[in-house]
Amino acid sequence: MSQHLSSGEISQWMIGERTPQQEQHVRQCSECGAEVARMEAALGLFRDSVRHWSDGQVRVPRPLTPEPRPLPVRWALVAAALLVLAAIPIYRNAQDRQRQAEIARADALLLEQVDAEVSRAIPRPMEPLVKLVSWDFSSTDGSDEKTRNEEIR
Amino acid sequence: MIAAVERSASQIDDLDTLVRLHWPRVFRFALASLRDPDAAGSVAQDCFLRAYRSRERFRGECSTQAWLMRIAVNLIRDYARNRRLQFWKRARASAVDLEAAGQWVPDGGASPERGALAKEQLAAVWNAAAGLSERQRTVFLLRFVEDMDLLEIAAATGMKEGTVKAHLFRALQAVRERMGRSQ
Repeated sequence: MSQHLSSGEISQWMIGERTPQQEQHVRQCSECGAEVARMEAALGLFRDSVRHWSDGQVRVPRPLTPEPRPLPVRWALVAAALLVLAAIPIYRNAQDRQRQAEIARADALLLEQVDAEVSRAIPRPMEPLVKLVSWDFSSTDGSDEKTRNEEIR
Repeated sequence: MIAAVERSASQIDDLDTLVRLHWPRVFRFALASLRDPDAAGSVAQDCFLRAYRSRERFRGECSTQAWLMRIAVNLIRDYARNRRLQFWKRARASAVDLEAAGQWVPDGGASPERGALAKEQLAAVWNAAAGLSERQRTVFLLRFVEDMDLLEIAAATGMKEGTVKAHLFRALQAVRERMGRSQ
């Protein structure tokens, strides 16, 4: 191979695509050898400059802790809807229980009042009369009573 | 082979070990791609967290490194597409001054002339990289910065080996053209 390597062939050389003839030519041809060396040197400088820059910047971070993956919004909405649906019967149940407790308390109060009424010797409307009668009894002696009884007869 | 796969899988299970072993390389690739240390740090962090979360899907068909790079490639692509600022696009438009990296040359006791020539060559490569398409730049960086072979690059990018070669070829032609112009 006597012809110099073309620009494309030198690029292919840098990729690693080369034939034994090209290798032999580069070894023997100072011009092609210099061109290959120039490319290799430029790419080597580039690599070193990137590494040098990177080494000056790199800070290996403190241990990374993966955050728990956020639930997708759709799942979060479904969960919220289910929670609301589940809460409705519980809320209603609590309301019912409260209402029943109030009714029971009212019933108990009513029963107490009834008991109180039933336990009276004299019905409440007649209580003033009883007082009146009691007052009469207290204001007379036994002779008056006797007289009244005789009159009745 | 089985032992290697098991080793890879156990490595992925341990996030701290994964980060310790692979962070510098992933960060470097992100930095070279985005040329923004903060963005590179975010991308690298995201890359490891994604790798950890999807570790069940890793079946050991490729190396842990190639798998991480694949995630990083996707994240960088998304980042560049989402963020319209895109340093590389600006760089292409303005042939940006390459202060941070492009001007660095190792102190090898070289003569001032050689040093100046090296800087010129380096700037030419950086500028050429700035003008590459996203895919060309990705394969170029993976090959010439990360020293990955063609099959590894194919695994990391999801491209066929032939496509990787074609992108690399075009990238190198662009670099050669830029270097020729700078001479």
